[in-house]
Amino acid sequence: MTKRKKKSEFQKLPTGDKALLIVGYIILGLFVVAIIMPMVYIILASFIDPITLQNSGLTFDFSKWTTTAYERVLENAQIWVGFKNALIYSVLFTVLSVIVTLLAAYPMSRSDFKGRGFFNTIFVITMFFGGGLIPTYLLISNLHMLDTIWAILLPGCFSVWNMIIARTYYLGIPRDLQEAAEIDGATEMTYFFQILVPVCTPIIATISMWQFVGMWNSYFDAMIYLNDAAKQPLQLVLRSILIQNQPDPGMVSDMQSTAQRAQMAELLKYATIIISSLPLLIMYPFFQKYFDNGIMAGAVKG
Amino acid sequence: MAEVQLKNIKKVYPFISGEDKKKSRKKADEPEKKKANLQITDEGVVAVQAFNLDIKDKEFIVLVGPSGCGKSTTLRMVAGLEEISDGELIIDGKVMNDVAPKDRDIAMVFQNYALYPHMTVYENMAFSLKLRKVPKDEIDRKVREAAEILDITQYLDRKPKALSGGQRQRVAIGRAIVRAPKVMLMDEPLSNLDAKLRNEMRAEIIKLRHRINTTFMYVTHDQTEAMTLGDRIVIMRDGYIQQIGTPQEVFNHPSNLFVAGFIGMPVMNFFDGKLTREGDKFFVEVGGYKVELAKEKEERLLKNNVQSQPVTLGVRPEHTDVGETGIAGKVDVAEMMGSSVHLHISAEGRDVIIIVPTIDMKKNYALGDPIHFTFGGNVAHVFSKETDKNLEF
Repeated sequence: MTKRKKKSEFQKLPTGDKALLIVGYIILGLFVVAIIMPMVYIILASFIDPITLQNSGLTFDFSKWTTTAYERVLENAQIWVGFKNALIYSVLFTVLSVIVTLLAAYPMSRSDFKGRGFFNTIFVITMFFGGGLIPTYLLISNLHMLDTIWAILLPGCFSVWNMIIARTYYLGIPRDLQEAAEIDGATEMTYFFQILVPVCTPIIATISMWQFVGMWNSYFDAMIYLNDAAKQPLQLVLRSILIQNQPDPGMVSDMQSTAQRAQMAELLKYATIIISSLPLLIMYPFFQKYFDNGIMAGAVKG
Repeated sequence: MAEVQLKNIKKVYPFISGEDKKKSRKKADEPEKKKANLQITDEGVVAVQAFNLDIKDKEFIVLVGPSGCGKSTTLRMVAGLEEISDGELIIDGKVMNDVAPKDRDIAMVFQNYALYPHMTVYENMAFSLKLRKVPKDEIDRKVREAAEILDITQYLDRKPKALSGGQRQRVAIGRAIVRAPKVMLMDEPLSNLDAKLRNEMRAEIIKLRHRINTTFMYVTHDQTEAMTLGDRIVIMRDGYIQQIGTPQEVFNHPSNLFVAGFIGMPVMNFFDGKLTREGDKFFVEVGGYKVELAKEKEERLLKNNVQSQPVTLGVRPEHTDVGETGIAGKVDVAEMMGSSVHLHISAEGRDVIIIVPTIDMKKNYALGDPIHFTFGGNVAHVFSKETDKNLEF
């Protein structure tokens, strides 16, 4: 019944709209395929014997499948340290970043905040001009933060872009809510923590996810600022594993060994992508419930 | 419960930078501009001025007027949500101009409910008491008491989004009454409800008023609400008070043309007429129909030493009688309202409405039918052509 109803609804559309709808679905379909195909390829490729993969591509002949890549990656003790570090960095970075962003966005959303224009200019300048790698390195070094967790957490924890997004979200919260709280006896702090933050869960979830994913996938800051292997995050460890297994063009070795190392490196590449992405893929559904559009429903007359 | 005094209250919104520049470009001899309902002066945009009002303890005052007249701004100044540019606000003998809203012992019901969406009805109502560190069992008692009064006990565990518009507004009222405030402020609390619910809630507010027995300030643009709820009504226009009086006073003795037109539904009929003074007697004449004004009206006009002059004559539709003689007109539309018929008539170059009780209808009127109507000298209001003021005042 539903199918028939849907079909009839489609048939009711003018020809131009029908064509547009079809083109839209085709483009979206291609887009979905473009995203899913590489993922599926990587998952499958990470299990297939490197020689088979190189010679005949993907196969569903399970005798050619192997878990060697995963074994090689997971038997590396450093990887667990990397996991632990990445988790600590990502969680702390997300928490810090969300706190700083929400607190900075609040005064910037208030029209009665004197100096808003000045701070806005300062913030926006940092969006267009950075200090550059070497000055930033020198700053971190002078602040004695080299080889400490702070070198990873502090430099990026305030994002102007996120602040602008949070500010815009605040501006969408009806002013009546604050006035009601003010009359109820709430101070600015009470309003912020007990009223505003709880109704901002969608934007908090969004910023948290961006920051968490950003930190989880980042390796450059860690590579620059962290020397101690015990402090390296997962991405850096995976990078090392990959590099270790790359055939060194400078080394004189037999052709077969070089080819094997190249194939293994390829296989490891796929396995490391899966290993590093898995926590994020698991995490997404848990964040999903916070992207609740209806959080403000019922607050004011819509 | 408290007395509230507003002494010469003024609200000016200063120019923001852009407007400031525009103002500086204004030539010195250029007159002040009037834009929409707002008065633009060198100081900024004047929203309310010369507002003087003494509200008695437990009185129900209604501020009424068209959009942009300054009624909500006045209420928000009493609440402390807007700064008072000039004048004094006194609650219970204390000047409150610079006191924070939370320390004024007032509660406010907003037009848009302004409920905390993440809290349950119970939490919404308990929030202000929690902040005041009221013991838990007392909070519970007060919330349940208020919920009982408003008949929302069954919804205490629900979030606002699971409630209908009427229920949400009850919660908003409940949130205000749990604190037993000295002054209860209501900013168009019923304007978001449909007509049926609005009538129900209006009756609820009348009952509530007697139960909680506190001073009320109520803002509305709906004159029916104003007439039914208020002990006294303050009619505002362009930031100025037009008249303060009981519903009966403002209905029977409107101080000017604006009040006469604003209060009453359907609106008062206006004619270009003539006021004639013959000794101590006053007559009004329109379209060949002449009638002597009632004694008390004549006394007031005499007291004001009013002379013969052209006037705007106002007569309410319900005070106009259809007859064989009188002012002649033609029927445009006859609206059957159930208990009465509203006759829309073209007469004296104006659209006139006459309300005829259905039982008094002697015939059915059709488009173009000739008709005559009259009115008594006790219901005619005479307004100055120059100032629009009621000449009796």
